[in-house]
Amino acid sequence: MAAAAAAGQVDADTFRRLYPDDYLRKFVEQGLRPDGRPLAAARPTSIGLGAVSTADASALVKVGSTTALAGVKCEVVPALPEAPDAGRLAVQVEMAPLCSATARPGRPSEAAQVLTEQLGALLSSVVDARQLCIDAGKAAWAVYVDIYVLDADGSLHDACLLAALAALSSLRLRAVSIDESGRVQTGAAAQQQQQGEQLAGQQERQLALSCLPVSSTCGLYRGRLLADPTAEEEPLLEAQVTAVLDESGAVLGFSAGGTAAVSQAVVVQCLEAAKMRGKEVRAMLQQALQQAGLAADAAAP
Amino acid sequence: MAGLEQQPLLTDGHRRDGRAYEEFRNVFLNTGVISQASGSAYAEFNNTKVMVGVYGPRQSERKVGYSEQGRISVDVKLATFATRQRGVFGQTPEERELSALLATALEAATNLASFPKATADVYVLVLEAGGAELAVAATAAALALADAGIEMFDLVTACSVSRAEGALLLDPTTDEAAREEAGLTLALMPACSEVTQLVSRGPWSSSQLREALELAMGGCAQLDALARQVLKTAAAEAATRRQQEAQRQAQQA
Amino acid sequence: MASPLISAAEVQWITAGVSFNIRNDGRQREDFRALSVQLGVITQATGSARVQLGETDVIVGVKAEIGSPDPDRPDCGRLVFGVECSPVASPAFRGRGGDELSGELARALERSFYPGPSGRAGGVDLSTLSIVSGKTCWVLYVDALLLNIGGNLHDALSVAAKAALADAKIPKVEVVQGEDPTDEPGYEVDDDPQWFSLYLYEPDYEVDDDPQQAQRLDVSRVPLCVTVSQIGAHSVVDLTAQEELCSSASVQVAVDESGVVCGLTKRRQKGVDPSVALEMVEVAQRSAAKLHAALAESLGGQQAQQMSVG
Repeated sequence: MAAAAAAGQVDADTFRRLYPDDYLRKFVEQGLRPDGRPLAAARPTSIGLGAVSTADASALVKVGSTTALAGVKCEVVPALPEAPDAGRLAVQVEMAPLCSATARPGRPSEAAQVLTEQLGALLSSVVDARQLCIDAGKAAWAVYVDIYVLDADGSLHDACLLAALAALSSLRLRAVSIDESGRVQTGAAAQQQQQGEQLAGQQERQLALSCLPVSSTCGLYRGRLLADPTAEEEPLLEAQVTAVLDESGAVLGFSAGGTAAVSQAVVVQCLEAAKMRGKEVRAMLQQALQQAGLAADAAAP
Repeated sequence: MAGLEQQPLLTDGHRRDGRAYEEFRNVFLNTGVISQASGSAYAEFNNTKVMVGVYGPRQSERKVGYSEQGRISVDVKLATFATRQRGVFGQTPEERELSALLATALEAATNLASFPKATADVYVLVLEAGGAELAVAATAAALALADAGIEMFDLVTACSVSRAEGALLLDPTTDEAAREEAGLTLALMPACSEVTQLVSRGPWSSSQLREALELAMGGCAQLDALARQVLKTAAAEAATRRQQEAQRQAQQA
Repeated sequence: MASPLISAAEVQWITAGVSFNIRNDGRQREDFRALSVQLGVITQATGSARVQLGETDVIVGVKAEIGSPDPDRPDCGRLVFGVECSPVASPAFRGRGGDELSGELARALERSFYPGPSGRAGGVDLSTLSIVSGKTCWVLYVDALLLNIGGNLHDALSVAAKAALADAKIPKVEVVQGEDPTDEPGYEVDDDPQWFSLYLYEPDYEVDDDPQQAQRLDVSRVPLCVTVSQIGAHSVVDLTAQEELCSSASVQVAVDESGVVCGLTKRRQKGVDPSVALEMVEVAQRSAAKLHAALAESLGGQQAQQMSVG
């Protein structure tokens, strides 16, 4: 096991690849991670809004090396008969084949499908579909949120949720107006038409999000809790816990899994860590929105 | 349709975005953008943003069979929000065609004999399609292959030329390409001066074709200088990092 | 059926022969094999043609159906190309095996018919296929089936596509106002992000089956594809399957009757010097003229026959 290491002739890089568990243990015993972070610290996070101009809203989030890009596209569609006063919010997570050595083009992998389900449920509870209605029974907005994982370096759930949230927070639904013949106009033309005859219409507006959920993933390794594990650390963890909290500390989502059982003490610790992380991330998001908002105001005539 | 479509593309020797006919958009190239990949590159030409990840050379899939030479497998995908109208998640025939054209562009430049039986997987994701996607993807993919350390005879750079309203426009945007009478995309190995890919649409007379090719070759040479600079900077940074690491280890020992 | 493997000695033989301007079957570098075209082989199709170029055998059928136009070109029809590699031609095409090749061939055909921004610039003037601007038009599905692979599929396909389009008889259509305004409303979404309209009723059509009233397409500007390959240091046209294994780089050029290049794609692994590429294009232009002449002769004879019978 550590025989070759004992010989002292193996360099750090080789040791890391041959004995990953020993490598990580040496760091954790000192209260550090291989990249120098303390155990409870998340990686540096950055949020960039409006990266893609063809999307109605977009956000690029980097948590360390993990990169997720969320793009939102809105379309006006006829209202569904079973939900005449609601629009649609469709969320899809795609792990692009370039994000990791195990990802392949073609059908979405299990990990991507799980993320899609979880994020879809979360975001549907945050965005009330009834605000997407334009004309009850006739027309409504369909909002498609597509999240691409560009670099899968662990804790994908955190990065994807943050990207989707940032994109939805910065989304502005275009002005809409429908005239008697059923012609729908969006954008600048709609604002002109609204002066005249119209059946139904709406001004340009932002989406109302009921809260800002932030996800925080922790891993259990030899009894110690590691926040925001990387792709290198994830296979060595005994258990992984993801907690989604909103501003008031209410738990919107929680999942724990792995080979070891997760005790109550660990759960409480994770929730505490998630609360702190949430505050940090929400402040960052507000700052990014303000900067983007300022930029948008400066651009508009 | 919208009034914007009726306005001319060219006014007083300038295009709608203010460029001259033979000017590139603002070009940004970078390598080493994906931590998990063997090699990666990001190319941004104003509104065309392409990210490429290269994995390998690694074992070929079983169905591909034995081959004495290495293989390059290319997969191009446009993000659903990359185009004005929302795209789909599966691969469309146009994307398959782009993948095949890109593979031809890269194969000629790579020393396939250096990795027999193995495949280098090149995954291209177009984040925003603002025009000349094949050309930008080819330049980015060649950079990514170089970043992955795969032996190449020469870098590949590519650019597109459109003929619209009687003039030859270098590096067209989507609007310009939609109104073109004819267009072509050229991928070139600048040092060897060899064409690795040439695709054209629409009618070209012999003299027009010659002129357009010359314009495209000039464009590729410009891009080549930039691409080499990017690779040299990346290599220099990696060398300093290794040096610092070695020093630190020597100190600790 | 050509063998998929070739020995180094055979490659040397063929390359040397090409440098002396003699090929295995006695042709010169820029000669085509014998071309045979038969029109109207599929009676249910709007138009069809079977082409044999040496050993290569392909059938193309054209089916005209009423559909909706491309939102970018509301007063033009559409051409949709599909190629199928039949397992009859090779066991490698079983199941999904032929998908890559068929996709490549279909896209190459499509590119040679590129209609330009107005829809009028391509081989076929698409505006003649429009019925109701913005709502309905003829969609011509051009489907090809490869029966035998004897080399140079691409050229054979383009000849067959042109012949089938020449043979196509598009029925006459009359637009009749819809009877019932409370019919199920259809809606059409425009590509333009500015607007789309919810139409409240659909007009009706009457299709005239009379073959005398049928409209024929003007195929005089349809280009033909010529594949030019490099064997050794020379450009060769119309390669057999065996010769294809010896070539290093090839260029597929679509040329119309006046010698204008309508589409160009490079295939294969090796790079070419730009001057060599231009030279190959010139060779393609010369050979295309011969191919156009051969096809026109064949078509002229058969159409005259059809007129006298019908």
